Amino acid sequence: MKWRKWNIIIHRDLGYLCFGLTILYVISGVAVNHIHDWNPTYKIEKSMVEVDLSAVDPADDRALTSAVLGQLGETGELKNIYRQDAQTLKIFVVNNNITVDLVNSNVFQEKSNQRPLLYQANFLHLNHAKKLWTWFADLYAVCLGLLAISGILILKGRKGLSGRGKWLVGVGFLAPIFFLWLYS
Amino acid sequence: MDINGACIKIILDGSLGVSSAEPSRCFRQQLPNNQEILLKRIIIFCALFCVACAMTAQAKTDVYGKGVTLTEATAVSAILDNPDTYLGKMVRVEGMIIEVCAKRGCWMYVAGDRQGEKIQVKVTDGEIVFPMSASGRMGVVEGVVEELKLSRDEMIKYQQHLAEEKGQPFDPSTVKDERMIRLIGLGAEIEG
Repeated sequence: MKWRKWNIIIHRDLGYLCFGLTILYVISGVAVNHIHDWNPTYKIEKSMVEVDLSAVDPADDRALTSAVLGQLGETGELKNIYRQDAQTLKIFVVNNNITVDLVNSNVFQEKSNQRPLLYQANFLHLNHAKKLWTWFADLYAVCLGLLAISGILILKGRKGLSGRGKWLVGVGFLAPIFFLWLYS
Repeated sequence: MDINGACIKIILDGSLGVSSAEPSRCFRQQLPNNQEILLKRIIIFCALFCVACAMTAQAKTDVYGKGVTLTEATAVSAILDNPDTYLGKMVRVEGMIIEVCAKRGCWMYVAGDRQGEKIQVKVTDGEIVFPMSASGRMGVVEGVVEELKLSRDEMIKYQQHLAEEKGQPFDPSTVKDERMIRLIGLGAEIEG
């Protein structure tokens, strides 16, 4: 039948078009599913070191910052300094948040770097982009729907929807229903 | 080289015809058909569109959620001193962002105008996501003042949860018996 030929063409070409974004969503989906175990977007390294600030005026935030950054060997761009209280100074460097305990001269560093590929994949998958991407992602979702529908209509006969296909489609519906029942 | 050059010219022109200036050695069967030309044009258009979008995205200030519409700022100290006056009201708060939720970007702290004071801005997970890079930047936030009513035990658990998200040590004895006033963030502008 002619419609079946067009169905195959639609399924084939949509498959090609959707391949890239599907793989991106697969990677991001698995990564985000385990957000309780790890940070899927940023690689965060925390460390505590001790510095010597004995020669610096504790009231001079600029001098303290300079001394701390120098001793840490931190050369990143300085974003800001914030004196939280008499004991605590926060130094914000690009990709590094530094908290200085001025009493104990302890420095807590929180270095964060975007995970390559995953940051971008999550940015799109979780629709942080909003705006035009929302519409594009909607279009992609419609394409996935068409892929699914055209996919089950490719074959006819025993291996088609009227044969084993209907049972497998049924199992596909049962899986989410089972988990909804399990967690209800 | 001539042949290749001629073929590339044909692709960009979108014409199947071979101009008189082109070498006759360029075989007809090597030329792309109309569909291939159309496909290549679509790909080139998409690539140019992506580049244009990327260039326009280089804005200096990043806007989150609904952005900021209020023009008059309210001091954090004013909210914390008289929370009952502001509960349920929409306010605009300005200040340095000193902490951001590392896992989901679902909250951040804005430093107050008085030393040591800060206010939490909580947003719905996924609706607004504050990036880690926002810490240390100046921000303007618009949101509704809310009181998080928790018992002392609940407050300790909540503060412990926040500390865990930041991966920082937590001492329950530091939790004071005070009202937890925060903003439910609806929009923000953060310098890039």
